[in-house]
Amino acid sequence: MGRRRRLVDPAAEAGAGALPKVIAALSRSLPAGPSPEIFRRAKFDRPEAAPALWQLLFRLLSPRSADGASASLALEAQVCLVKSALRSQGYPRLVLAQLPEDGSRGSRELLLALSWLLARGPLPEQLLAQAHVQLGDEIPVCECEALASPGPRVPHVEAEGPVDIRCVQWLMGRLRFRWRCLIASQQEQCTLLSKLLRRLERENTGLEAALEWRRGELVFWRWMDTVLGACPPEAPAAATQPTFLPRIAERGLGRLELAARELRALQEELCEATGRRRAAWEARVGGQGRGPQWSSARQALQKAVEQELAALRWAWEQDRGPARPHGPHRLVRCEDEAPGGQHLRAAEVIQALRSQEACLEAALRRLQGQCRQELARLAGALPGLIWILPPRC
Amino acid sequence: MSIVTVQLGQCGNQIGFEVFDTLFSDSHSSQGLCSKRENEAYRASCKERFFNEEENGVPIARAVLVDMEPKVINQTLSKAAQSGRWKYGQHAYFCQKQGSGNNWAYGYSVHGPRHEESIMNLIQKEVEKCDSLSGFFIIMSMAGGTGSGIGAFVTQNLQDQYAHSLKMNQIIWPYGTGEVIVQNYNSILTLSHLYRSSDALLVHENDAVHKICAKLMNIKQISFSDINQVLAHQLGSVFQPVYCAEGSFHYRRNPLGDLMENLVPHPEFKMLGVRNIPQMSENSLAYSTFTWAGLLKHLRQMLISHAKMEEGIDWQVRPPLSGLPPLGKMPLNKELHFNTSIANLVILRGKDVQSADLEGFKDPALYTSWLHPIHALNVWKTQRAFSKYEKSASLVSNSQFLVKPLDMIVGKAWNMFASKAYLHQYTKFGIEEEDFLDSFTLLEQVVASYYNL
Repeated sequence: MGRRRRLVDPAAEAGAGALPKVIAALSRSLPAGPSPEIFRRAKFDRPEAAPALWQLLFRLLSPRSADGASASLALEAQVCLVKSALRSQGYPRLVLAQLPEDGSRGSRELLLALSWLLARGPLPEQLLAQAHVQLGDEIPVCECEALASPGPRVPHVEAEGPVDIRCVQWLMGRLRFRWRCLIASQQEQCTLLSKLLRRLERENTGLEAALEWRRGELVFWRWMDTVLGACPPEAPAAATQPTFLPRIAERGLGRLELAARELRALQEELCEATGRRRAAWEARVGGQGRGPQWSSARQALQKAVEQELAALRWAWEQDRGPARPHGPHRLVRCEDEAPGGQHLRAAEVIQALRSQEACLEAALRRLQGQCRQELARLAGALPGLIWILPPRC
Repeated sequence: MSIVTVQLGQCGNQIGFEVFDTLFSDSHSSQGLCSKRENEAYRASCKERFFNEEENGVPIARAVLVDMEPKVINQTLSKAAQSGRWKYGQHAYFCQKQGSGNNWAYGYSVHGPRHEESIMNLIQKEVEKCDSLSGFFIIMSMAGGTGSGIGAFVTQNLQDQYAHSLKMNQIIWPYGTGEVIVQNYNSILTLSHLYRSSDALLVHENDAVHKICAKLMNIKQISFSDINQVLAHQLGSVFQPVYCAEGSFHYRRNPLGDLMENLVPHPEFKMLGVRNIPQMSENSLAYSTFTWAGLLKHLRQMLISHAKMEEGIDWQVRPPLSGLPPLGKMPLNKELHFNTSIANLVILRGKDVQSADLEGFKDPALYTSWLHPIHALNVWKTQRAFSKYEKSASLVSNSQFLVKPLDMIVGKAWNMFASKAYLHQYTKFGIEEEDFLDSFTLLEQVVASYYNL
């Protein structure tokens, strides 16, 4: 069985209590983590430690959504699932596949399987990231979303003739009820916020446990060496099986090249199409009126289009490697300037939001202008009345 | 959002039990005529409002039980626990060893203040268990002694302590030929106090429900349990989850708020009546089919002709034609044949509910002149059927339904008051003649406002 060889660091030699502490930290950072005593018994292949380890492996290997429903699966079902999951991930030791289905034996083997999973990747960190508390500090960054969808229609209210005071009292009462409901929802928000804080505290405990585990895991690996040593020697056929580690690096690069080429071709096509469209539009519009009405409308339109283009350009001209800044991003306070990965600077996000805001404001001004024109038209239709239009804001 | 129910007195506790039982049975019924996921959403919504979820336990009703005698409370608690499906909180009740002899003033001035802290503590505990509080639902009788007096006191306290929360009082209007001599005094005192501190008064008349049991349900020996079940059915059909709007996919979160905002925003008009159709015994139900058109036609006529149930409706009553003088000019004691509404809420539940046509309810002639049907009529529709009725329609109405009964009670109480009969029972415990006069004034004003629609 291939395993990562670690340099023995004399500085990491700790006292006798270090091992249980490290194992306890590991346990706290995993879901359904068993006590250090279970681990100790598993080294000596004690049968009573087996069920707990089967359940732990089940929780680690079952899909993300397996919280309430599958936790109540029978032990046999969990054993089957663990076996097939490990097999599909390339676990090399055949002994595990031969363990009885009732989950009564094989605790040492399970311990080895657990450490194999731990050695392959940052398992506690991955699990914590999966169970991360959603705080609402995420912001979607994707300029291909429609900028403004038409909102709900405003109910049309007409004022005609003298109004009965009872109607006014009725409306005031409705307003008061809405106000009270608002207060109730704010109280609800506070309660939920405190619940959220409690969940965050639990998550913090898990994170601290993961840190503690990382600091002391050397002790654990040296202990695992002794566990492996305590195992009976494996059949030669199994021992020569190569380690199976999933590798996607090489195939992935080729795909990226293909994607880049396709994008470039698409860009050329788009340029061509816009050029053609612009020419056609100019030909149509060419001789149309150039009065003051037109020029102000045109200016407004031009500004709006420029802003939209700027927003699009910002989204496209990101040079962050193959992964585009797409989808929700979390707000994280960072001391160092380390780039790379999926990071976006807050300044860029702010800029994107500002350009969005500008587009929406332009749309609002356009709509307000239309309203004003409509009011002016109505005012013209009723000569005896004086209309006071709302101030331009 | 959750509703905390306060069950007061014998009446309130017995009805409260039936209400929770109906809500629970309906939410777990398999005859909802909708998909499994829909059913689960319905159940979850009902649970959030009325029950507290405990780990591995039976749902616990969000309720506080109050009575001055232990008998009814013990019965209620054990009936709920025996069912094994839901129960009341172990310590969510308050009772004393002895009663108070049906004296409103004693309940209001002595029992109330004496036990104020304990009762309000219980309510506070219940409120804390809610993630968010929609409001309070207080079930009580109007004319009894203890329940009514304490009820008025507790509602006032809720107004002081939870000023922003909504409060709806479910009050039971006594039989016309009631058992208690001073029931009219009790009634006007209760009503006037509640009018000041509650947001909405949802009224059920014992006479009306009794007739429903006799004529529609064909029950020979009508017990209070039968009456309470009919009541619970009507309340359940109003408070079970409904959709937000046409074509939306989740249930309304704030049942009390939505209802009150649409029906009782005006401080002078707080009295609501409930009508529910169809209502029949289970045996007949199996052999009946209904159409929305038929149901709504009957419901509309029930509304405009003051009918309490779908039998014996006076089909002669019609909305006034637009040429006639507005009804507001009528003298006060003219016989009201036609029921003018201020606002109506129609709740439809069941099969093909989207096809139900409510044009009949949108006629402006049904409503008072100062509120247009657009604002006065609200319709809530839900596909999920209620309590074994393939189709069921409920109407919660702020209209002149109750103005005549109210006028009668005020009249009778005034006659007694004029001859100072039985007043010493009240003055002995701090309810002075002044308080009576205040109550009369307030209720006369309410009667006048409703007559002048």
